[in-house]
Amino acid sequence: MMRLDPITRDRLSRFRGISRGWWSAVILVALILFSLVAELFVNSRALIVHYQGQYFFPTYGAMIPGDTFGESYQYETNYKVLERRFAEEDAGNWVLMPLIPFDPYEINVYAGEFAPHPPSMEREHYLGTDIAGRDVAARLIYGFRIAIWFSLALLATTYVIGIVLGCLMGYRGGWFDLGIQRLIEIWSNVPFLYIIMIVASIVTPDFGMLVFLMVLFGWMGMTWYMRTATYKEVSRDYVMAAKALGASDWRIITQHILPNTISVIVTFIPFSVAGGITALTALDYLGFGLPPPTPSWGELLKQGTDRLDAPWVVTSVVSGLVLILVMVTFVGEAIREAFDPRRLTRYE
Amino acid sequence: MLLVIPTFLGITLLVFTLTRLVPGGPIERMMTEMQLAQEGVPALQQGPERGGVLNEAQLASLKAYYGFDQPIFEAYLNWIGNVLRLDLGVSTRYNESVWTIIAERLPVSLYYGITTLILTYLICIPLGIAKALKHGQRFDHTSSALVFIGYAVPGYIVGIALLTAFASELEWFPLGGFISERYDEFTPIEKVKDVLWHSILPLISYMLGSFAVMTFMMKNSLMDQLAQDYVRTALAKGLSFKDAVWKHAVRNSLIPLATHFGNNISVILSGSFLIETVFNINGFGLLGYESLLERDYPVVMGILVISSLLFLIGNILSDLCVAAVDPRVRFE
Repeated sequence: MMRLDPITRDRLSRFRGISRGWWSAVILVALILFSLVAELFVNSRALIVHYQGQYFFPTYGAMIPGDTFGESYQYETNYKVLERRFAEEDAGNWVLMPLIPFDPYEINVYAGEFAPHPPSMEREHYLGTDIAGRDVAARLIYGFRIAIWFSLALLATTYVIGIVLGCLMGYRGGWFDLGIQRLIEIWSNVPFLYIIMIVASIVTPDFGMLVFLMVLFGWMGMTWYMRTATYKEVSRDYVMAAKALGASDWRIITQHILPNTISVIVTFIPFSVAGGITALTALDYLGFGLPPPTPSWGELLKQGTDRLDAPWVVTSVVSGLVLILVMVTFVGEAIREAFDPRRLTRYE
Repeated sequence: MLLVIPTFLGITLLVFTLTRLVPGGPIERMMTEMQLAQEGVPALQQGPERGGVLNEAQLASLKAYYGFDQPIFEAYLNWIGNVLRLDLGVSTRYNESVWTIIAERLPVSLYYGITTLILTYLICIPLGIAKALKHGQRFDHTSSALVFIGYAVPGYIVGIALLTAFASELEWFPLGGFISERYDEFTPIEKVKDVLWHSILPLISYMLGSFAVMTFMMKNSLMDQLAQDYVRTALAKGLSFKDAVWKHAVRNSLIPLATHFGNNISVILSGSFLIETVFNINGFGLLGYESLLERDYPVVMGILVISSLLFLIGNILSDLCVAAVDPRVRFE
């Protein structure tokens, strides 16, 4: 078991006491874990195929050609068609499809109709399709997976850079500190879109490249915070005492300063997560994010505003965004309240 | 204070260098446009001497015209010299002076910026005070829920939601723009109505972001002040609770809001180009975004100069505001 000091335990129990934040956190963690296995719930591949007494599990692994199941083609099985055929034959074969039987990239065509198709229970397009005929629910869920992991990757990298660099700035001070301060000031005024455009004109930005670019322009906030926090701690007596006792710089930073500065950082995490999601959404909305046909919320937003006659697209994505962002903010507020050392004073 | 100058120079030099590094500058853009225009012309009419769109000499003179033939640093010195003489150059896209273009967009941006600023302060300060005094009560919780959504969701997404609901579905409001097409024929009263009618949805989206931040800032800072010893002392000495709040705590709790004022000043002009894109408002933010896309470097640099100057002025204004509400701060 992890050993928790009483203060942390106290904060945790206070956090659990704020029900709105606690439940938001539970739901969010569940959603993130769910997104990892989204293939089991949202997929054009079947979950289980029972064919001539044999079981197949096509979800993960290599694709299974159609002739395995007695279809007349070599390419990947169309499980939706297979399901219908098996049902008609009634020969003991069956297909179990996932909850939403669509791939986010799959273009669905319905004779005599033009995409976007409105929501329909019968066709299992619970949220309709987008203007290319792709299922909105599938794109929403896979888009969430990309956005949340993008945001978490961004968070981890910027925090590591910020903590290391900020600590050094605050601890060393002097010219090093002053130089990086000016750099940050200048850097935060560079139009971020510029860099994205330069890169986009040379290579197509992929996931890693976008994280890198966002880190390039997002490390300043955390660094600035850590610098100020470290700076304050360095002037405290206990640091002086540690120095007088002959502790090394490394020991002072890791054993004394970091534990005192880092706990506050936890309160920033939810807001950074929300920031990462909105940043990616805005980039995708403008067309500078991940290349199409990657499922993304920003792209759905763009489609929604371009085609106001298909309100199901914009309604689904806006509701999704509002829901996720509000929950993240609830968590953030709850953590902040749990970490607040001041008890509220009330009169009257 | 003096550090402001190197910062300003650093920002402009960096962006200036970047404009030179981005592929597809204004000349390339013009050439593609010419090529596109020529595709309509039958091939026979194009003489052999017109093989390329432009010959070497024409290209060189174009480059000289826009100053692309000079090395970066020299060109930068040239440009900053012009800026000091208040000359921002000529837009490569509109072929008009950058000042004229910026001045055209200014009224729209100022209208939205100033209205947002005033409304935000008018609503946030009383709301924040009320929430602090009623902390934990029903009023606080219900208003928090609303403010929370504004805090969590970016303004342009709220804008999209409002646009879909009230403009597209219900058709209560127009789909965007600043004024109607028949604006010139309207009577003055109709004009005012028209502008208001167009601006309600964008104003809500603009306000939402800063609105939540300011309300919470006001609430938290007043609650901090109420917990201070001096309020307890004032109460112990027999001052009424009302006086303790209004004469002592509120004044002190305005300090963080005053420091924030500078930020809001620079937002007045830059606004949010995302909101401007959503509502199709021809403001300052959209101008900056479009000129970035179109590689209209003089305009990009002009906007950068103005926005960084505003940022610096905003900082100074913040300091002045703090001095006005906090008697402990004095300028030496």
